Amino acid sequence: MRRLVCILAAVAVWMTGVSSIQAAPNDAYPLAQIEVDNSMAARQRGAVIAIETCMMCHGFKYLRYQDLLDIGMSAEDVDNYRGDNGLLDRLESMTPIEVRKESYGKVPPDLTLMTIARKHGPEYVYTLLTSYYLDPEENEANHLFPGIRMPDAMGYSFTEPGSTERAEVERNVSDLVSFMVWASDPNAETRKTIGVWVILYLIVLTTLLYLVKRKIWRRVEKLKIENGTVKRP
Amino acid sequence: MIKKSIGWIDERFPLTEIVKHELTEYPVPRNLNYWWNFGFLAMFVLFIQLLSGIFLAMHYKPDVHMAFDSLQHIMRDVNYGWLIRYIHSTGASMFFAVVFIHIARTLYYGSYRKPRELLWWTGLVLLLLLMATAFMGYLLPWGQMSYWGAQVITSLFGTTPVYGDDIVRWLRGDFVVGDATLTRFFALHYLFPFIIVAAVGIHVVALHWVKSSNPSGITLQAKDNIPFHPYFTIKDLFGLGVFLIIFSAFVFFGPEFWIMPENNVPADPMVTPPHIVPEWYFLPFYAILRSIPDALGGVVAMFMSILIFAAMPWLDRSKIPGGALYRPYYRVMVYIFLVDVLVLSYVGAKPPEGHLIVIGQVATFVYFGLFLLLPVISKREDRRTRETGLPPAALALMAEERDELSRSEHYLRREEDLKVMSKGKRKGEGA
Ligand code: HEC
Ligand code: HEM
Repeated sequence: MRRLVCILAAVAVWMTGVSSIQAAPNDAYPLAQIEVDNSMAARQRGAVIAIETCMMCHGFKYLRYQDLLDIGMSAEDVDNYRGDNGLLDRLESMTPIEVRKESYGKVPPDLTLMTIARKHGPEYVYTLLTSYYLDPEENEANHLFPGIRMPDAMGYSFTEPGSTERAEVERNVSDLVSFMVWASDPNAETRKTIGVWVILYLIVLTTLLYLVKRKIWRRVEKLKIENGTVKRP
Repeated sequence: MIKKSIGWIDERFPLTEIVKHELTEYPVPRNLNYWWNFGFLAMFVLFIQLLSGIFLAMHYKPDVHMAFDSLQHIMRDVNYGWLIRYIHSTGASMFFAVVFIHIARTLYYGSYRKPRELLWWTGLVLLLLLMATAFMGYLLPWGQMSYWGAQVITSLFGTTPVYGDDIVRWLRGDFVVGDATLTRFFALHYLFPFIIVAAVGIHVVALHWVKSSNPSGITLQAKDNIPFHPYFTIKDLFGLGVFLIIFSAFVFFGPEFWIMPENNVPADPMVTPPHIVPEWYFLPFYAILRSIPDALGGVVAMFMSILIFAAMPWLDRSKIPGGALYRPYYRVMVYIFLVDVLVLSYVGAKPPEGHLIVIGQVATFVYFGLFLLLPVISKREDRRTRETGLPPAALALMAEERDELSRSEHYLRREEDLKVMSKGKRKGEGA
């Protein structure tokens, strides 16, 4: 079996002509358990951090600036944050793609779908941003994703454990996650509201169908077989 | 007015005749249980997939640079696009769930046996078509798993002796999975469901020729058959209601449950995901593929694991009616088989490491072993039953059936059957 897997991998690598050995997250590292705050306020605070910090390197390209109105951001605020961009423009990164590729060796991934693009996405993102630390040489490093090419954008590693600064960073990351969860699935609330009605309707309908079925089938007796004889009404 | 119109049609097309023959006077055994609902459910899901698929195709773009983004366009910009897409992605999984239960029902109750062999085989063709359709559809979102799944599965054909590389290139339309592959998979993914519709037509024609079997496995007297309409229309509708509640629960409250996180990452030919895992409905077959230490052998075993079902009518030599109901050995075999498939699914989902390799190999061995043991066991079971006799309930039904067959023009009347059955009677009574 190993051989088959090796062949498959070799075939794949040969076909594409690249070897794809990459730094990867450490699956064994425990993820923080978080409760995603789905309030509009948290999402708005998260949006601001996303625009001001993450969008230096990342895009949220499946969102348009006007979508920010949906999380209750005021039109003036949206105008402020979009700068020269139009309302219908997408939330692209502030830095040109070549520059980012040049600086980090790869284009930082788009973040719109990030919380559904990793297992336990919200917890993953939260843990990723709050597991930066300074190694003995005072270099930034990450417990969850050793070798990550992203700097500690939220400055977590520069805060002391237990300090109010650290609590502040954790709160910000939590807001950020609220925003990202919304960004990955902006229709979630509509979907669930409709879903409740659909299911209620189906339960009523199915109950009625069951009653009709019982009524119609009352005319048919069960086939009873006892002691070797078939009994019929 | 309506009567007149129908009369006008009836002179030119057998409308009333068809409704009578296939619905209002179509005889169905009255003792069918709810496991007999799943064929209708499969038809319904097929219809849902066709409908939602056509609407998706209006907004989808089969181009490697646009495919992934066009799905986000559907999810975000198209009115109720998210609903259409989630119905389609959930529907694919539901289709397999329903069809697997349908097959398990058929195996348990022995409906693959005479006279339903052709029905069984048309069903297997449907399964293969369904798998091909799902496999091609899975490439369309152009996520990481789409891409690498297609890359791995198409490369399997490379194990074909001599022509391997040519076949792979022919399937992909290129040396690697790329734009040519995506476009052709889209074209075929749109085509195949219509072929499935036609094949379902044949499946149902075959069914209406031999009629449904029933949990007892014994052809029931005419008076124990009731018309399809209204009895089974209402029963199927009630079953549909229950099904739709489960279906909607997934669509509205857990649609991403069926979508692997990796597939929300756009395909990247430069980055291989750590483990390439197919959709859950392919896992048992994937586990069998990986359990054979030889590449070509693995591929052959994988295809055989489905094709071997076609041999069931020959492998099962038993003449005892009623599938597992009156057959204690066979019943145990069916249960072992179902558990074995679950074990294989688990193994298929995990990276092939350590004791999982051994478990996968044992499960593969059990999978094929059960098929190969069936002729021996079913013969022995028949012999045992001849000694101990069938349960009185089965004997009573068989006696009735025999009388009915010899008396009337039953649709299953055949001289050969009469002989088999009178033999069964003598043996049964001797016990
Ligand atoms: C200075 C540039 C920069 C900034 C600012 C930045 N990132 Fe990143 N980010 C990167 C790079 C580069 C990568 C790719 C890392 C790799 O694959 O090694 C990345 C990767 C990621 C990943 C994916 C990790 C994975 O599992 O592959 C997430 C999630 C992420 N960033 C979130 C954020 C968030 C949230 C912010 C805002 C607080 C942010 N980033 C700010 C550069 C940046
Ligand atoms: C596209 C998928 C399929 C559809 C739409 C479909 C449809 C149906 C319908 C409507 C029935 C009658 C109701 C019932 O018995 O449940 C039926 C019966 C049957 N099907 Fe299918 N089917 C499908 C796939 C399969 C497969 C994959 C198999 C087996 C390999 C199969 C084997 C059978 C058999 C043997 C019967 C007769 C059962 C009996 O009378 O006891 N079908 N099918």
